[in-house]
Amino acid sequence: MAKETDASLMGMSRANYMRLLAFFLAPAVIVYSVFSIYPLLATIFNSLYLRQTDGSYIFNGVGNFGTLLTDTTWSVSFWNAMKNNFIFFLIHMCVQNPIGIALAALLSLPQLKFRAAYRTLIFMPTMLSVVIIGFTWQLILSPLWGISKMLLQSVGLGALFAPWLGQESTALITVSLISVWQFVGIPMILIYTALLAIPDELVDAATVDGLNQFQTFFFVKLPLIIPAIGLVSVLTFVNNFNAFDLIYAMKGALAGPNYSSDIMGTLFYRTFFGNQLQLGDASMGSTIATMMFLIILVGVMVYLFVIQRRIQRYSF
Amino acid sequence: MNVRKHASAFAVHAVLLAYTALALAPIILVIMNSFKERKAIFGSPLKPPSPSTFSLIGYDKVFGDSSIASYYINSITVTGGTIFFTLLFGSMAAWALAEYKFRWNTLLAIFLSIGIMVPIRLGSVALIQLIAQLNLINTLTALILVYVAQNIPLAVFILSEFIGQIPKDLREAARCDGLSEYNIFFHIILPLLRPAMATVAVFTMIPVWNDLWFPLLLAPAGGKQTITLGIQQFLGQYITDWNSVLSALSTAIIPVLILYVIFSRQLIRGLTSGAVK
Amino acid sequence: MSEVKIEKLCKSYGPIDVLKDIDLTVEDGSFVVLVGPSGCGKSTLLRSIAGLEPVTSGTINIGGKQVNDLPPAQREIAMVFQSYALYPHKNVYDNMAFGLKFARTPKAEIDQRVSEAARILQLEPLLKRRPRELSGGQRQRVAIGRAIVRKPQVFLFDEPLSNLDAALRINTRVEIAKLHRLLKATIVYVTHDQVEAMTLADKIVVMNAGRVEQTGRPLDLYYRPANKFVAGFIGSPAMNFIDATVAKKDYLEFGSGVNLSLPLPKSCKVGERVTLGIRPEHIQFGARAKIQLDGKIDIIERLGEIGYAHVALPNGQTIVAQVNGEPNVGNGQTVSLALSSQQIHIFGEDGTTLTA
Repeated sequence: MAKETDASLMGMSRANYMRLLAFFLAPAVIVYSVFSIYPLLATIFNSLYLRQTDGSYIFNGVGNFGTLLTDTTWSVSFWNAMKNNFIFFLIHMCVQNPIGIALAALLSLPQLKFRAAYRTLIFMPTMLSVVIIGFTWQLILSPLWGISKMLLQSVGLGALFAPWLGQESTALITVSLISVWQFVGIPMILIYTALLAIPDELVDAATVDGLNQFQTFFFVKLPLIIPAIGLVSVLTFVNNFNAFDLIYAMKGALAGPNYSSDIMGTLFYRTFFGNQLQLGDASMGSTIATMMFLIILVGVMVYLFVIQRRIQRYSF
Repeated sequence: MNVRKHASAFAVHAVLLAYTALALAPIILVIMNSFKERKAIFGSPLKPPSPSTFSLIGYDKVFGDSSIASYYINSITVTGGTIFFTLLFGSMAAWALAEYKFRWNTLLAIFLSIGIMVPIRLGSVALIQLIAQLNLINTLTALILVYVAQNIPLAVFILSEFIGQIPKDLREAARCDGLSEYNIFFHIILPLLRPAMATVAVFTMIPVWNDLWFPLLLAPAGGKQTITLGIQQFLGQYITDWNSVLSALSTAIIPVLILYVIFSRQLIRGLTSGAVK
Repeated sequence: MSEVKIEKLCKSYGPIDVLKDIDLTVEDGSFVVLVGPSGCGKSTLLRSIAGLEPVTSGTINIGGKQVNDLPPAQREIAMVFQSYALYPHKNVYDNMAFGLKFARTPKAEIDQRVSEAARILQLEPLLKRRPRELSGGQRQRVAIGRAIVRKPQVFLFDEPLSNLDAALRINTRVEIAKLHRLLKATIVYVTHDQVEAMTLADKIVVMNAGRVEQTGRPLDLYYRPANKFVAGFIGSPAMNFIDATVAKKDYLEFGSGVNLSLPLPKSCKVGERVTLGIRPEHIQFGARAKIQLDGKIDIIERLGEIGYAHVALPNGQTIVAQVNGEPNVGNGQTVSLALSSQQIHIFGEDGTTLTA
């Protein structure tokens, strides 16, 4: 960043300088503080209060968190959502990111024809609303339409078909894979960018050193894109622990069947707004939101202070 | 060697084509079947519409029964308003942070960058109370305010990186020419920021257009639904009417696809320009 | 025997011919420099020898074996890249050992070869460092070390000095010349800098627009350029060119009454348009001579020991003449320039040198 200029250089009075700064900074800072930072802080603050039966609130310290983590009324759903959310995240890490890296590796091969077309088309689902994607897959996987069954039968695997979205044992995995399918474009593009930044001469040097394309990828390129993979991982973490839309669109707020696809985002929504089975509870909703905030904070901190510090960054 | 080379190029294309097909098939399937009559949707879902199976009955329902058109206008208003104010406020703040020296400069930059990593969605409980107090429930203004707040951090980050790359000499030449600081920003810096603004606009536009959460919380009714929420509600209502469901999905997909095909080059260039590191 | 023999090599990208009918022999143990302006195809030629670029037609032989269809690693070549292309995530030792490991060389031999190269290049104290902890000159030496450990038949250098600052460049140039003598290596070296070419080469290949313009020993190119392009490219400052018409036998007219009587090659026909070429260092200042041009000094650039006078001829052309010491001449002064007939080159209309 360029070195900043101060008031004395511009021959301005202090008051005029302050007015100048206020003019440029105030709109952004005010909107951001009021509609982003204040709600975040107020939510954390709310989580420290308990709603009474008469509708009033009393200070409860970290009591709500104790309730959430240990009182079985809450803790069963909380730990269930937590576990599911980790499964959701792990599926993204183990399926979405490796596929994204592999696609990026193929796309960055020299002299590849139709590169732009592949890139554009594979990225396309990422552009669409999660709601649309959710419903589209719901239709495709629906036993009513039978299209998945038909496709599986055409390759002789008809027996494998099951109403995956409707079964407790498979609903979460199915939803996760749909999310993977939609968002694979993001790791693909970020890794692709990192691969493009590797100078051609380095790849030539590896060729002269006798490495084939696979070896060049694993021993030369992969070590050099680890910073990008770290970034992709933390983005995946934040997005996954903040996810809501897809499960809400496909399974509704109850994240069925029997909460088997419930994650933190849906639990938060249900708790705050209530549903057929319970009334909305702003205190516990805030408590869950604060827990999500803490989880994301831990993830980001681990990235910033542990992973990013250990990663060697290379300038070429 | 040539044979091996061709074989490996073939394998690469086979893999990429297969994945491309996987990425596109569901979308194509929905659009294709939305133009067919109910019997053909179930009887031969993999066949494109033919004169004998062609039908627009689903679209009739989508455009007849609901306020899809006004939901589109809502979405365009919200997205457009968000982009405009995000770019304006974001570039002004980015300029001040990158150009002027003052005591809280670094601290303010850190404060603004919190929002890049922490999703504003987590503040929803208090946010909805705030919006209610301001009497803005079921208004587009509420959505625009929230989305601008949500997008300012990334906008400031990308734009100040970009401002840092504008040669210092240029601003100093303008100062020597006697331009005021306000004029330097609006007449010299702002026009130069266009490419970076395009990147920010794209990063802002997609999540705002596609968002379900805030429309659901802040403007779920009163005809102020965005298209994403509107389609979601419509789908919930007509879930057994396959013609309508497929047509509603296609109605939501097709405009985005057209825009995407037109702007994909700029979009991918923005994504790969290293603006986000 | 590690001779490189290239015959009828062509390369095109679609309709664009990058290399046209290149014939070139690099004798065993010789240092050959490919030189030319950017875009002349010299780097493409080098990369074709390395196997990094496919060729359209023609053959490449290294050590008596045709290598057209061999991948780079099997061509027994080693390459030093312009940006050095060191692996940023590997230390100096591993950078040099990397290729050997993939060739399944025994550990002991890798060790022995790397320490040998490190000793020659004085890299021993740096073996555990990463490339980013090295200076430009050190990186350059590692890149050369990585080539040495491969014990190649041929070393290929792609503008290896262009990323170094001026002082280091001269230093490294000398180091490379010493290394060539020490290793008795066959080297093909690409540069756009004619000084590098002159000082390093046993043989220079001047390239232009995908063709070889002339091949020869450095001084041959300097004294007997085959054409106007080579004459202008070799030598610094560049040779002066003055357009002229052969008015009668052994008589040139330059226009505006500037004429010269001098012995011309026999092939010059009366009425033919030719170009006279003379190097600045071959112009005598102020002396009376048989072949002499008069002009007015526009400006003198003084470099110390020598200087360069820009002299305007009455026909409007400017020629540059070297000034030795501090002769008593100044701007605006009218001077006589003496040309020695042995140093004059006459080029025909197509640019080729006309000889007696």
